[in-house]
Amino acid sequence: MRLNDGDPGFKHQVAAEPGGAGLKACFACAACTARCPVAGHLPEYDPRRIIRLTLLGRREEVLASPLIWRCSACYSCAEVCPQQVRFTDVLTAIKNLAARAGCAPPAARAGASLLAKHGRLLPVGEFENEKRAKLGLPAVEERPQDFQRLLGMAPEGREPGEGPA
Amino acid sequence: MVNTPPSTPILILGGGVAGLAAAVDLARRGLACTLAEREPALGGRARDFCCKAVSACARCGACRLADLLAEAAARPQITIYTQALATSARPAEGHGWQVELAPAGPAAPLPIGPGQPLPGRVSLAAQAVILAVGPQPFDPAGKSSLGYGRVPGVISALELEARLVQGAWEQRPAPAKLAFIQCVGSRDQSLGRLWCSRVCCGYALRLARLLKASRPDMDIAFFHMDVQDYGRAWEEELAGLRREMRFVRAMPGEVAAGAGGPEVVFALAEGKQMREAFDLVVLSQGLGPPAGAGALAQMFGLARTQDGFLGRAEEPVAAGAAGVFVAGACQGPRSLTESIDHAGLAAAAAAAYVASTKGAGRG
Repeated sequence: MRLNDGDPGFKHQVAAEPGGAGLKACFACAACTARCPVAGHLPEYDPRRIIRLTLLGRREEVLASPLIWRCSACYSCAEVCPQQVRFTDVLTAIKNLAARAGCAPPAARAGASLLAKHGRLLPVGEFENEKRAKLGLPAVEERPQDFQRLLGMAPEGREPGEGPA
Repeated sequence: MVNTPPSTPILILGGGVAGLAAAVDLARRGLACTLAEREPALGGRARDFCCKAVSACARCGACRLADLLAEAAARPQITIYTQALATSARPAEGHGWQVELAPAGPAAPLPIGPGQPLPGRVSLAAQAVILAVGPQPFDPAGKSSLGYGRVPGVISALELEARLVQGAWEQRPAPAKLAFIQCVGSRDQSLGRLWCSRVCCGYALRLARLLKASRPDMDIAFFHMDVQDYGRAWEEELAGLRREMRFVRAMPGEVAAGAGGPEVVFALAEGKQMREAFDLVVLSQGLGPPAGAGALAQMFGLARTQDGFLGRAEEPVAAGAAGVFVAGACQGPRSLTESIDHAGLAAAAAAAYVASTKGAGRG
């Protein structure tokens, strides 16, 4: 690996994303990796390595890696980190950059479509609302508009630029 | 009736190595001073430190306490009070300080080493004050993921020192497999302790080498982030130490109770998670500001460093109040030898201050 091949701006770009600022405080102590339940099952998933690669400017390697989508967001890493890096949040920043670079995996895109269409990842239909009515709970309405705006997606999961529905 | 001395040129608070070194340094200059120690015996934390020499001196400084105690006891210029606590202080007229000392607890039945218990409340006029109250080691229970006080077989580095001083493993078998975990209570933003304690790499590696010398087959793992410079020729020493023990560049995420002893959960360099059992896990606790730093700072109107130590980080011995000086690890993390050297600097500054105020305001 040639250090000169790295993109020195990459770490700043990640740090500028919401939640990404903790990246630069990392000591590389690997307490996160030691405590991570995903790393316990998937040895190639190594939070310390993802942070090091990011700091070294390995933009393509990080953004295209399928491993950055493996985090279960349990925040065990944030719990043990002596530097309060909050790796889960740093990884969210990295994933946002990856999605903008077109590197989001199909599952993430499918999730975005569901959000744009229903405003939820699990669609709520008559079956659920009947059950809620029996329990005396109000019916759940689907309000996808906020997500459509956030995701820049038109209703029915159309990508922007595909024309009006 | 006790005839209490009404004044002293220099009052030293704290009778550990720094306070003793300051007193001895002043006495060698021919200056009288009064040393007030809170505990029944002088020596402070250094009393519980073992000599770490293997084939040659490890320059840990533990032996220097005995020399300092002997010289402090022999110098007629030094008045020593034990079980003496400073309760209040106010600037004296002109210059200097009026300090109230009170007995700390009931007098010990027998004198322990040099000095006499404070006979009662004493109001002492001092032209200068040296604070040498020492650091507060981090309580490892504050880093709960490492299991101290909860997981059997997890001890603090100070407890290991005490065991070695007492010769605990000369009667029964020493542990065969041992782990040191560094930076416990140091460089840890989640604990609000951002500083490096500077002494832990040195004492842990010297303790590890001492144990290896008595039991060469002992398996020692050293969990760390990086090794800090801990004194002369440390890099040459390190090369040898790397062959004698396992240097693991990872901070454990957890120490859990296991059937075969405490289990350390950590990540290998390539990211693989490991769970390894040890006979004993030693937590290398860092040094923090003294517990009474806030009270002392209020008493004398002192400055405190960003990390809460006494005085100013950028000035070696000035405490931020006229005529008050700081010596040793209450000003910032220091080893024994560094504390002794620092106390010499504080003594020189205090002596110069006393000389500069001679005649001024007393005419």
